[in-house]
Amino acid sequence: MKIVEAQDICKQFGQLRAVDNISFSLEAGQVHGMLGPNGAGKTTTIRMLMNIIIPDSGKISLFGQKNSANQNHRIGYLPEERGIYRKMRVNDVLLFLGELKGMKGKKAQAAIDGLLERLELMEWKRKKVEELSKGMQQKLQMIATVMSEPELMILDEPFLGLDPINTNLIKELILEQKKKGNTIIFSTHEMDNAERLCDTILLIDHGQKILDGQIGEVKKQFGSRSIQLSYTGKPDFLQNSQVIEKFDDFGNYVELELKPGADPQEFLQSIVREVRINRFELMEPSLNDIFISSVQRHRQGEENHE
Amino acid sequence: MNSKTMAVVKREYLTRVKKKGFVIGTLLLPLLLVMVFGGVFIFGRFFKPASKDLVVVDETGRIYTEFTRLLPDTLRSGEPMFRFQEYDLGKQDLAAVRSELNNKVMDKQIDAYLIIPQDVIDSRMVTFSSRNLTDYEEQEKLQRALSRVVSNLRLEDKGFPAEVIREEMNLGQVWLEGIQVTQKGEVKGSGIANYLLTYLLSYVLMLFIMVYGQMVTRSVIEEKSQRITETIISSIKPIELMLGKLVGICLVGITQLLVIVGFIYAFTVYGDDLLAKAGVQVPELLNIIQNLRFTPVVFVFFLLFFLMGYLLYAVLFAAIGAMVNTDDEGQQFLAPVVILNILSFFIMFSVAKNPDTPSALWASLFPFFTPVVMFSRIAASAPALPSGAIISLFTTAAAIYLLLLVTAKIYRVGILMYGKKPSLKEAWKWLKY
Repeated sequence: MKIVEAQDICKQFGQLRAVDNISFSLEAGQVHGMLGPNGAGKTTTIRMLMNIIIPDSGKISLFGQKNSANQNHRIGYLPEERGIYRKMRVNDVLLFLGELKGMKGKKAQAAIDGLLERLELMEWKRKKVEELSKGMQQKLQMIATVMSEPELMILDEPFLGLDPINTNLIKELILEQKKKGNTIIFSTHEMDNAERLCDTILLIDHGQKILDGQIGEVKKQFGSRSIQLSYTGKPDFLQNSQVIEKFDDFGNYVELELKPGADPQEFLQSIVREVRINRFELMEPSLNDIFISSVQRHRQGEENHE
Repeated sequence: MNSKTMAVVKREYLTRVKKKGFVIGTLLLPLLLVMVFGGVFIFGRFFKPASKDLVVVDETGRIYTEFTRLLPDTLRSGEPMFRFQEYDLGKQDLAAVRSELNNKVMDKQIDAYLIIPQDVIDSRMVTFSSRNLTDYEEQEKLQRALSRVVSNLRLEDKGFPAEVIREEMNLGQVWLEGIQVTQKGEVKGSGIANYLLTYLLSYVLMLFIMVYGQMVTRSVIEEKSQRITETIISSIKPIELMLGKLVGICLVGITQLLVIVGFIYAFTVYGDDLLAKAGVQVPELLNIIQNLRFTPVVFVFFLLFFLMGYLLYAVLFAAIGAMVNTDDEGQQFLAPVVILNILSFFIMFSVAKNPDTPSALWASLFPFFTPVVMFSRIAASAPALPSGAIISLFTTAAAIYLLLLVTAKIYRVGILMYGKKPSLKEAWKWLKY
């Protein structure tokens, strides 16, 4: 089932095209990462999903329905602009935000206590929000988002400013929600987290979609052409082969990239006749590599276009 | 109202009512009000304690004794109000005496002097010379006493015996008893108590509308400046949030009003006993408060007009809060609205005295004036209802509804706009979103 569908959405702020004709659809029950450099249009896209700002053009549907305002109780949202009533006590804030999601009484309190315990905030339960550190406030807000176990969680930069320990706590929460069959969308510009958590990625730059898809597919698309090769024999074949785009000889091994459309299997067959192969490894590029190279390629394309 | 809105109502209400400041403020406010209005009386006492030295030049020689006998008034301190000195004219020239007395007045040796001419019985003209003539009450007192003495003398001259005249004059003294004619029949009235009640309650009404209206602005700005809005708005529609806020803060106001009115009521019922047990003498002002006719009708309208006045102003205040980012920015938008409210209080002063004139009716039907002005008419005419009282409830409700339609749009867009403060022109554009 498609839980989120966006079709040709656009949003312009003055001269800036914050979101430029982006389309995507996201499968329920998966973790989706929205990646992009700062100012790419991630937050604007998320705000449009949340019906906080209205697209200039294009269509958005959540849960197969157009008006997401009526779906609010099924969505948990962690905005980029984080804020919580500073003068209220931690427990009261959570009870209030829970009530807005339709949680009440003992059930709400049990959920709150469980999450406070897990995120190591139990001793702060009766303290005022303003007494908490920034990281703790962020965890508090994460609790508010997760506590109702919404079918769809939309998290804008959930790891921003958190130390590795707290980052792990949040990751566990996200994965746990996925296990329960809920859908998570989060934005980030840290590829490490995305690589470990995401089922699919959506890469945005300058308001435009650069690529999207299942993370395995994306990697295959990029990675099948990179090869690490260690051999004994004459290096002539590197020069002679028709399918090699470029190569780097590091002495102990060679890193090479095949031309588009070339099959690594056939390449392997062609070289075993000339040299002895010690190691032949198809490299999966890291998400970081994909990110950097596709953003660069996209920007070059834009410049050429202009 | 759905459960989300109720959650907002509950939060807005409880976070405020639980504050120490609210508890203290609620208990102190009745005291403060008594001090403000009591202050007027008390100041009056502070400024009027001195006896006046009054020289009387009695050319007839027949008036002074009786005149001073008629003015035995004392000040609250027990001192006589006037200290009379008779000036023995002898053979002196009147002009010389005048300039001598003028000098004494200027040197503040005496406060004023009266010259009763030889022919006063026919001319009926006496001069009163003083450094200032602002105390018309005092002059009226003197004039009344002189008139009485001269009338008596004229009767005496016609042959009536002096004792008979004096007795008849005393017996002929007439008192006015105020009776207010209302639809429910005749009601005995105390002008001053009713007046005071009207002012006091109208003042409280204006004050509460302003204080609680601005609380709405601050509440909206708080959520904006602390970036809370986006979190909340993912769970609740802006209009629900706005309504919850309006109702929650309104309930805080009503709580405070009920406590204060409860105090006043309890005082009018049990005040005497309590003060007597404590051995405290009941001052005059408190007596007046005890005589207030705080009838159920007045009370109901008081609450109704607080509700309506608050809502009318609060929807504006909410929109203002949504348009700005800080309290400071809010001030310049708040000013015109606050002035509108204060204006209604000034109009109330003249309307309360003449609640039945057409201009009073029209002033009280202008929605932004209705709460304070119409209420003052109701309090002044109690227990009868003035014209337009019921209609005004509907006109105000209609105004609130129309204003809510407009401001809800401004609110919806404004609460999510950070950064630059919008011009009025931009706010106008928000209406079309």
